[in-house]
Order: sequence, then structure tokens, then C-alpha cells
Amino acid sequence: MAVIRRKNLKKGLNFTIMSVGASGLGKSTFVNTLCESAVFDKKDYSNPEQAAVEKTVEITPVTVDLEEDGIKLSLTIIDTPGFGDNINNERCFNDILNYIEAQYDYILSEESRIRRKPKYQDNRVHACLYFIPPTGHALRELDIEFMRRLGSRVNVIPVIAKADSLSPAELVDFKKRIMEDIEYYKIPIYNFPYDDEIDDDETIEENNELRALLPFAVVGSEDEVIINGRRVRCRQYPWGVVEIDNVKHCDFSKLRYMLLSSHLQDLKEITHDILYEQYRTEKLSREGVVDLDSDLPENRLKEEQLRREEERLRERELKVRAELTARQNELLAKEEALKNLEAKLSSQNNINN
Amino acid sequence: MSSPNNFIGIANLPNQRHKIVSRKGAHFTIMVVGESGAGKTTFINTLFAALMREYQNEEKRFQKQLERTVEIEIIRAEIEEKGFNVQLTIIDTPGFGDYVNNSDCWVPIVEFIDEQHLNYMKQERKANRRNIDDMRVHACLYFIQPTGHTLKPLDIEVMKQLGSRVNLIPVISKADTITRADLTAFKNRILDCIKFHNINVFCPPIQSDDEDTTRRNTAIANAMPYAVIGSEQDVVTPDGRRVKGRQYLWGVAEVENEEHCDFKKLRNLLIRTHMDSLISTTEEVHYEDYRANRLTKEGRTDDDPQVRKLFDAKMKEEEDALRKRFTEQVRTEESKFRKWEQELIDERDRLNKDLEAEHSAVQALKAEIEALKSPVQARSPRK
Repeated sequence: MAVIRRKNLKKGLNFTIMSVGASGLGKSTFVNTLCESAVFDKKDYSNPEQAAVEKTVEITPVTVDLEEDGIKLSLTIIDTPGFGDNINNERCFNDILNYIEAQYDYILSEESRIRRKPKYQDNRVHACLYFIPPTGHALRELDIEFMRRLGSRVNVIPVIAKADSLSPAELVDFKKRIMEDIEYYKIPIYNFPYDDEIDDDETIEENNELRALLPFAVVGSEDEVIINGRRVRCRQYPWGVVEIDNVKHCDFSKLRYMLLSSHLQDLKEITHDILYEQYRTEKLSREGVVDLDSDLPENRLKEEQLRREEERLRERELKVRAELTARQNELLAKEEALKNLEAKLSSQNNINN
Repeated sequence: MSSPNNFIGIANLPNQRHKIVSRKGAHFTIMVVGESGAGKTTFINTLFAALMREYQNEEKRFQKQLERTVEIEIIRAEIEEKGFNVQLTIIDTPGFGDYVNNSDCWVPIVEFIDEQHLNYMKQERKANRRNIDDMRVHACLYFIQPTGHTLKPLDIEVMKQLGSRVNLIPVISKADTITRADLTAFKNRILDCIKFHNINVFCPPIQSDDEDTTRRNTAIANAMPYAVIGSEQDVVTPDGRRVKGRQYLWGVAEVENEEHCDFKKLRNLLIRTHMDSLISTTEEVHYEDYRANRLTKEGRTDDDPQVRKLFDAKMKEEEDALRKRFTEQVRTEESKFRKWEQELIDERDRLNKDLEAEHSAVQALKAEIEALKSPVQARSPRK
């Protein structure tokens, strides 16, 4: 581990996170809190006419350079405004799924080149934070559908947004019910997997702890206040102050540590070794079917068609030639017969003469 | 200008009325509309300080099949306070806005409201109209999600539809999620949206004889949309008071504290001060509008043609979609067949041409043979 870390120290890491959820759940604020800087600007909602317009999902990646534990990290964050905001949201899954698969396609085509570039831009999404609204009940249809469809292509980490609207008891119940739903609907999520045989006890314990915290209850804020001489990030209400970095108030700091330090490598490895491989296998075994999106199978299909046509023409050529030779032979035979007749006639003539 | 000696006694009428009304009691119907988890049940229970409505049983959520419908649930209760009775009806709308596709989810709600007006109208026309069951909705609370941003397309569409039929009161639930500053900005944006899209919300009457009352009424009117926190539990604040509120690790959000939320104002609006105004607006304005509309469309004696109309509209939509798909499929199959046909014809022509070529080759050869034959024949007559 230490050797790998030293290597990364020099190279620097790159990591891509996507944040998905209905608007108003605090995704942009969360990202700004995570990066400790204003990565995403506050959106302007002051136009009432725009409020009624149904929008499509926009995929907006932004890259930030951070330093974590002395390691340089190039963090790309993809926001998805417009998800789940319309009256009919059936189409919004596809936009996100297509983006993720497009990144895989790019890697696939780079890997299949005859001359591969030693360093190509790896824009695959390593983790997808899905923001669940704090209803206090259970998962909604939109949540279930999305996590189900995307869980097989990307590491989905469910997160309870605006967790400061739930009291401690409500939060415990809500988390329990969400995990029950995830199990019931067999939704694939990143649940801190470990291997009993390979990993040491410390890792196993750490992973179990984090697993028990799922889904992470998150509160975000860019405002800072000085309490007792220290600068604290918090949200101020008339009845109290919620501290972002206080583990008793919310799971933000644990999530941050997990995402950017302890489990960053694991997320990347799973994306590459498992999710990407699965996609690759599925895609390549689908070859031969007309795929309107990518170029390669189309060309192959055309080639096949041409080949078949060529074969057909060749067959016909052969047939025609065979017929011709057959006819020629017939004619030759007839010629021969004629010649014999001639010979006979002439011999008869001679005899008569 | 009657002097005390000419006191007739007409001024005593309000007192008499008061006795009549307290004897009769009142009917009050509230409807709550909003996504599940918005806090509707908690709010109702807090408002009436009683377990009016059971909380959703989460254990059963796997048993119920996802039918993707919006239901109308009616809860009736009788409340009595200081000798005054109220027949309370609460209408809940589970399933509203909960699905991936929420198109037309407001239709059952709008139909229900219209149905109640129609029902009342029919009962009014009867010869014996002593026991009219009046379920006309006096107030409709629309729960807006506390996003802090602005109204969503669904909110705008539904509020437009509701505002023209019933006293619509927008409510921001779970207001303990938003900080003070954000809340003011949020409310302003919502009001801008409401104005821009011409959404008709309930405006409580402000003017009154008493200055205090006028001031209070202005405060109530200005606080719309109402940011509320709901809780039926008693908790103890850090400074020792026992209040209804929500207890967090960082403090207690109190329901009846005007600094924390607008619950008190909304309660006044609904019950303590403006209940009468809500009832009279429903009867005098919304019901009369509905009745006028209906009567101008007179002649139809079917029961509830609107239900069928909507049903038909939906069926038509599906029919059209199916028909389109069908014609498209037929068209693609047809073009496929035509292509095949064309290919076969081309092949046939090609083969015919080949045959012709061969035929002519054969002819040429025959001619050759003839040519060969003729010199032979030319030779033989030399006999």
C-alpha cells in the first residue's frame, strides 16, 4: 500500500464523481462543501417563466485540483441538473446512462487500437452519489428505478440529502427502511466489499462500519461561523446550529474521507476491473446486431454484405461458365459427329466415284 | 339614528344567530395535496391536536402493488370545543406526485372537487333537502417541497388547476430544513411564480373594524406561502419549556414559535379567524361559479359526463398511439415486401438476360453448324 501511495504522490490521481438527484436537494452545495470552494455557482431561479419549462438533463463536468493527505488529486465532478424535475421523468435515466456508457466506449476504442496511446484521458465515472430526498418514509419509484438501472454500470453510493430535517430517531428508521428497499429490489450499490481471506481485520472492520452507515446522511454548507475561536462550517437556524464536520450531526466527514482517501482506489479498481469489464463483455457479444450508435459494427456489417454479394456473383459466374463449357462440349461433340458424317459421305462419294 | 328609547332590538340578531350556529355546528372540509413524505399527515394531526390520521404503514409497502394511481381518501371526524361542534372532513391524496411519470396526476383531485359541487347541486334540487351531505372542499392546502429554489413544473400546473376551483393555500412543509435568509428568498420566488402564472390563491380578507385585527390579518396575508413545521410530540427545550416541537441534537424547532415557522398564522387562517371566510368563499364564489357553468351547459342528464370525457380522452390518446404504431409497422413490413419483390424481379431479369445471352450464343453456334453443314451439302450433290 505504501509503495502505491508513494507512486501516486508523484503522478497525482484522477477521480470522477457524478452527483444525481432532483433539484433543490443540495447537490451543488454538497460539492462545494466537499471541495471547500465554489465549484458550482448558485443557480439563478428568479425567472418565474423558466420555472414551468420542462427541461432535459444536462451533464456538466467540472475539474478541480485538490490535495488530500499530501497527494495531488484531480477531481472531476459531474452535475446533472434537470434530473427528476419534470412532470414525466421517464427519459432522464437514459441521458445519464448514455453518458456513462459513452465513456466506456471511448476506453474500449482506445484499447482496441492497433497502436495504443500510452496515456489516454480516462473519463470513466468512478462513483455516483445518488441524493435521496429526506421524506422519512422509504425509497420512491424514481429512486428505485434510477439506482437499479445505473447500479450495474457505475458504483452507486446512496446519500440522504438535507439530513438536518430528520431527527436522530427518524434518521435511524429512514436508513433502515432504505436498506430494506435496496435489498428487496436487489439494487446494486457500492457497499464496501471486502474479502475475508485477503483483507486484514482492520480493513474488514472499517468496511463493516462504513456499510452500517449507509446511506450517508449529508448536510452541506459553504457558510462559516466562528464558534469558540474555531472556524466551523455550519447551517444556522433560529433554534440551533448544525455543524457539517461534526460526526454526531451528520456523516459528511466520513463520506468525504471514504470518497477521497480510503476508498478512492477501491472505487477506481471496481470501475475498471468489474463494471467496465462487464460492459465490455456485454457489448462485444452483441456484435453483429445493427448498432446505430457506434461505427465499428456498421462497417463490419457492410463488409459482410459485400462479401456475400461477391460470393453470390462468383457462384453465378461459375454456373454460367459451367453451362457455357457444357454447351461448348455439346457443340464440339456435334461437330465431331458432323465431321464423321462428312467423312462417311466423302468416303461414300469416293466409293461411288 | 335611534336613541336609546327607540331601541327596537334588531341589533340583537347577531346574538340570536350565534345561538343558532352554535347549536347547528359547522361542516368543514380540508383537502391536503402533496407528494408522499411532505408532512401532510403530521400537519393535520398537529393542527387538530389529535391523531386524526394514522401514519402510513411502511411495513406494508412491499405488499401493495405499484398501480401508479392517485387515490382520494376521506377521513371524517367530529370535534367539539366549548360546546361547539364541527363536522370535520379531511381529504388526503396519496400517490400524488410519487411516480416517475406524474402526467395527469391532478385529474382525480380536480374531478373530486367538481363532483362535490355537483353533488351538492343535485341534493339542493331535491324536494326534501333537509339532510344534505355537504363535502364541498373549503380549503385546499398544497404542500410545496422545501427545495429553497422555486416552484416545479408539476406545482405550477396543479396549482393552476386547483386555484380556479377551490380556496388554494400554498404551504411550505418541513420548514425546518431552510434557514431564515433562504426562506425569505424562497417565498418571494414562489410569489413571483404565482403572480406570473396567474395562479389563484386564497386571499384572506384584511380589513376589519378593529385595528388590531386588521394588523393581524395583514400579517397573516403577508406570510403566504406558509412555512410550517409539524409535530405532535411534546419535547423539552434547552431552557426548560415543554413545547410541541422537533428535537434535534442541535436544538428544538418549536411548532408554535412564530420565529421558527408560520404554523400559528396558518392555524388562525384555517380555524381561529378565517374559517368562516373560507366557508363563505367556497359557497358564494366557487360553488356559484361551478353552478353557473353547469347550468349554461344544461341539457345533459348523464351522470358525470366529465369522468367519461376524461376517460375517453385518455383512451383516445392510447388508441391514437396504438394506431400510429400499427400503421408504422404495416408500412415498414410493406416496404420490406416491396423491396423483396423488387429484388426478385431484378434477379429474374438478370437470369433472363443470361439466358438470352446463352440463347444467342447457342443460335450463333447453330448458325455455325448450318454454315458447316451447307458446304458439306454443297459438296454432296457433286455426286
